[in-house]
Amino acid sequence: MKKLVAIALASVMMLGLFASCSGKDSEGGNGNSKKEFVVGFDADFPPMGFKDDSGNYVGFDLDLAKEAAERMGMEFVAQPINWDSKDQELSSGNIDCIWNGFTISGREDKYAWTDAYMENKQVVVVNADSDISKLTDLAGKTVAVQKDSSGLAAVNDNAELKDSFGSLLEEDNYLNAMMELESGAVDAIVMDEIVARYQIQTSGKNFKVLDESVASETYGVGFDLGNTELRDQVQKTLEDMASDGTMAKISNEWFGTDVTIIGK
Amino acid sequence: MDKLISILTQLGSGFLTSIALFFLTLIFSIPLGLLVAKGRMSKNIVISSLVRFYISVMRGTPLMLQLLLVYFGPYYLFNINLRNLKLGPIDYRNIAAVIGFSLNYAAYFGEIFRSGIQSMSKGQYEAATVLGFSKTQTYFRIILPQVVKRVLPAVTNEIITLVKDTSLAQAISVIEMFTVAKQISAAQASVIPLFVAGVFYYVFNGLVEIVMNRIEKKMNYYQ
Repeated sequence: MKKLVAIALASVMMLGLFASCSGKDSEGGNGNSKKEFVVGFDADFPPMGFKDDSGNYVGFDLDLAKEAAERMGMEFVAQPINWDSKDQELSSGNIDCIWNGFTISGREDKYAWTDAYMENKQVVVVNADSDISKLTDLAGKTVAVQKDSSGLAAVNDNAELKDSFGSLLEEDNYLNAMMELESGAVDAIVMDEIVARYQIQTSGKNFKVLDESVASETYGVGFDLGNTELRDQVQKTLEDMASDGTMAKISNEWFGTDVTIIGK
Repeated sequence: MDKLISILTQLGSGFLTSIALFFLTLIFSIPLGLLVAKGRMSKNIVISSLVRFYISVMRGTPLMLQLLLVYFGPYYLFNINLRNLKLGPIDYRNIAAVIGFSLNYAAYFGEIFRSGIQSMSKGQYEAATVLGFSKTQTYFRIILPQVVKRVLPAVTNEIITLVKDTSLAQAISVIEMFTVAKQISAAQASVIPLFVAGVFYYVFNGLVEIVMNRIEKKMNYYQ
């Protein structure tokens, strides 16, 4: 009997532990009465959304989302998701939107989008001493992309380029891809310029970005197709943030320049 | 140095989630495993074939797929909004992880327990009957204690595998230690967090081994 009680107590404690560290970063104080604004993001994706040294989820997109949530009077919740199951997370109602350097091009009909808030290019990253200097040099080479990324979509759209590759590898995340590149297993990575520049700067790795890009595109916030009401609310808030200069301020903090395009 | 400390504290919080998942799975899957063993040996053909089917599915499909099914199943099958499935402050994704792991491990434990129960000689039951033990008494006082002794090494194997398998919960975005390690690696563009996570798993499994060895020694009362 005593043992049973002990086991029962232990289970309750474990459940408590689970609850206390269920990984969500919710802010907004006494917010139980406030409606939640749950933002889904891939936490392996600096500088848009990632873990900082003290373990908090931070990033350019998360700062924008937090500001927007505050203005809408909602409680901001950052929910890291597995990028492979973002559609299931969204349609099952776990998250309200995907806000994470989320490329609109090629996904126009799959989500309810806000207007684009920044531009991005799909670029080619190679080792600094590589003899690859333009896209045609990629013929016969091994190229890596992230699974289900817009880099992959950009490559798929450019059949001529894709067919010239020796092979195309789909990696789990950019860190793996960069390790492969560094170790020489792949010759180039096609990825978001914003992320590439940030990664090269943080890691100090000896990579360079080719001048010629594969595609240009824009980032937006993606909602479930039926959820236009919340989309419109966020869209309006974003416009307000752009017109009173808050968006430019946040952009300056992260990139040292205003990269946003909404309301311009 | 500061970086290392920050890695350690961040991994520590993920480690707590992994540990919680580990213990909760054991607490639920071991009793469930006993039931599975019982059902599998049942003389009732309906029960025994159902349990056989259950075991074959649990062992024959990837655990990662089972987790995805338990997690997203309520939405795709019954159209339930997953955000409303919270148990108090606990996200459904964490609950789904415990359910998925428990169901999967119960199948393996069930087969291990069955091997132990079936290895007991008929003479034990006959002796117990002669001595006037009832069926329940025989099972709980005579058979089960010996079964525990016999199956311990196999159970230890499963438990150690479970420690490492908790990392599969990342498929449904449970923020366990390996997920955290990957996030830190991405943020710092370094692989060190992954290696540190490896050390965490290794040390914890070392502890599991020590504990299980102790229990085995304690059970060794007839030698």
